[in-house]
Amino acid sequence: MSSQEKKIVAAVPDLRDFPLDRLAELGGTPLAHSIALYRERLKENGVPLSSFNARI
Amino acid sequence: MNNGVAELKSHRLPETAFTALAAGRGDPAVIRLLQGAQQSKHTMLLHAIAEAVGDGDPADQGVVAFRAGYELLTRIQAADPGGSAWLLGLPHLGGWAHDGLIRLDQDTSPDFAYLACAAAAAAVRAGVPFELDVPVRGGHVLLPGLGRLAAGDEAAWVQLRYDGKHLAVGDSVVASRVTLGPDHGPGRPVPHWRGTPAVRVLADGLAWDILLVTDDPYLDRYTLPMSAGLTDHELRRWRQLMQAAWEVLVRHHRWAAEPIATGVSVIVPLTPQSETDLISATSPAAFGAVATSWPPDPVTMAETLVHEFQHVKLCGLLDMVPLAESGPEKVYAPWRQDPRPAGGLLQGIYAHLGIVRFWQSQRQAETDPDNILRAHVQFARWRAATEDAIDTLLRTGCLTPDGVRFIGLLRDQERALADEPVPSPAREIATEVALDHRLTWQIRHMATDAAAVATLADAYRRGEPFPQRDRPEAWVEEDVRKLGSSVRSRLLTMSYLEPPRYRELCAEGVLPLSEPDRLLLGRDAEAAVRAYRDLIAGSADPQPDAWVGLALALHRLPASVLRDVFAAHLPVLFDVHSRLGAGHDPLDLAGWFG
Repeated sequence: MSSQEKKIVAAVPDLRDFPLDRLAELGGTPLAHSIALYRERLKENGVPLSSFNARI
Repeated sequence: MNNGVAELKSHRLPETAFTALAAGRGDPAVIRLLQGAQQSKHTMLLHAIAEAVGDGDPADQGVVAFRAGYELLTRIQAADPGGSAWLLGLPHLGGWAHDGLIRLDQDTSPDFAYLACAAAAAAVRAGVPFELDVPVRGGHVLLPGLGRLAAGDEAAWVQLRYDGKHLAVGDSVVASRVTLGPDHGPGRPVPHWRGTPAVRVLADGLAWDILLVTDDPYLDRYTLPMSAGLTDHELRRWRQLMQAAWEVLVRHHRWAAEPIATGVSVIVPLTPQSETDLISATSPAAFGAVATSWPPDPVTMAETLVHEFQHVKLCGLLDMVPLAESGPEKVYAPWRQDPRPAGGLLQGIYAHLGIVRFWQSQRQAETDPDNILRAHVQFARWRAATEDAIDTLLRTGCLTPDGVRFIGLLRDQERALADEPVPSPAREIATEVALDHRLTWQIRHMATDAAAVATLADAYRRGEPFPQRDRPEAWVEEDVRKLGSSVRSRLLTMSYLEPPRYRELCAEGVLPLSEPDRLLLGRDAEAAVRAYRDLIAGSADPQPDAWVGLALALHRLPASVLRDVFAAHLPVLFDVHSRLGAGHDPLDLAGWFG
């Protein structure tokens, strides 16, 4: 995967290296927006669960 | 470490990764991209819960435990970033954070104290000292991802003290760090400690480490309960099964084995409701966990892993890139008994692309004639079903532009398999079982226009020709008629999934089958047609199952208009006949339709 390659910008902020004790500083930023989007998805879709009976 | 708020970026998915995932693949590097996004998602949800704790009662023990757990996790991150990343990537934590957010949105309190247990587990693993009050549940302190400590039944809370080498529980129990890990099998028991059962399977140099989780409430989230309290004997059997399934995957499905080893870290054994059911499940809340009841053989376990890992990948991708919008419409999914929304159908299609690919290879790997038949039927049935379901999904109009692109790439993979030959007997079984499933579903969930049905019944009764206009409209309406999975349907499925058992049952002649069903399964299609017709015409009550049987019996005869009418318009035929009442020949009515 080259760095020049086209990339899809995901709906999740990259928090992997972000200090947990500084997350609170992100209150009004894309983090809050992402949480709101996630909440909206949960409200729309409920809690989807794939469940399969292999004997049908 | 990134310390700047202004530098906060979103995860980015390279086009090659998207394309690989759409093709049903994705190598370990792609899976790690999904895992990275899940770690961020869990962190994001943890932050949402932490914000809610800010409004919590400072005297509440759960709130106190959460704050202490969060502070400990912060210290672990500073001392050993890999240690906090391990915890934030666990499906256990994902399930807890997901449920916590839902509880907040429902104005109920999350299980705040679980974070203290989770942070304690990460600290023990990383060697970071702490003192922490944690809840005791069922006489144990749970350390997610590691195991559980016996803490007695006297107190609801207990203090853990850890100096980086030894963990003290209250005033009595002390355990060494080196012993506080998952249980890999034979070994000396550790007093007061029950490690989470773990398996390391190995085949042709490729290893996979898995936890068998049966005690974490946030992984007990499937349609069946987790199999709590597995005995040593049962654990041995699971370990043996995982090893045997791994050998199948590594030797015949390497394309799936390596990504599975990267992306699946937890198996949740489920307790089925009946011995014959095989239920497997995946939750988007617990990325990396796969739940399944006990499968009958290693090949089925391998297929289940491929199937469920497809869901795992798609759940991870959907958290990054929306592919389908929610819509009110529910449609037919050839692998489900209930109508599904577009998002559910997309999941099923993706899972079945993996299944088709699995059976394509497995056909070459099998040597026993019964197993070869099973592999061919599975391949043929799900290949056709996936192709049909893609058409259905596109018709819903619920896909986003990325979703349309995704399904287009997926369809290319499906079409590449279209010309793969399948022996006639297997193809015929696959077609019949698929028809049985579709028609049973239609009888159950397809409603028809009552006025139009009445008009048709009146015209038929008066001996008029079929009206020269469109047949009555039909639409999906859940459980509009009562019809479950029949003994006949189960036997048809058994005929290729378990041929020896099927032959045994047929030979015993003790099955609770109607005479028409017995004739159908005995492959006397003409006699079955007559028997179904007589049953339907002579019954005062509607006989939905017999209508499906009649369609199947006709399907075994040479092509005819009757056969096509039954396959294409069964719910309308059934409703018109129900309105006419007993005494009317269903074949004559179908001929009139044709």
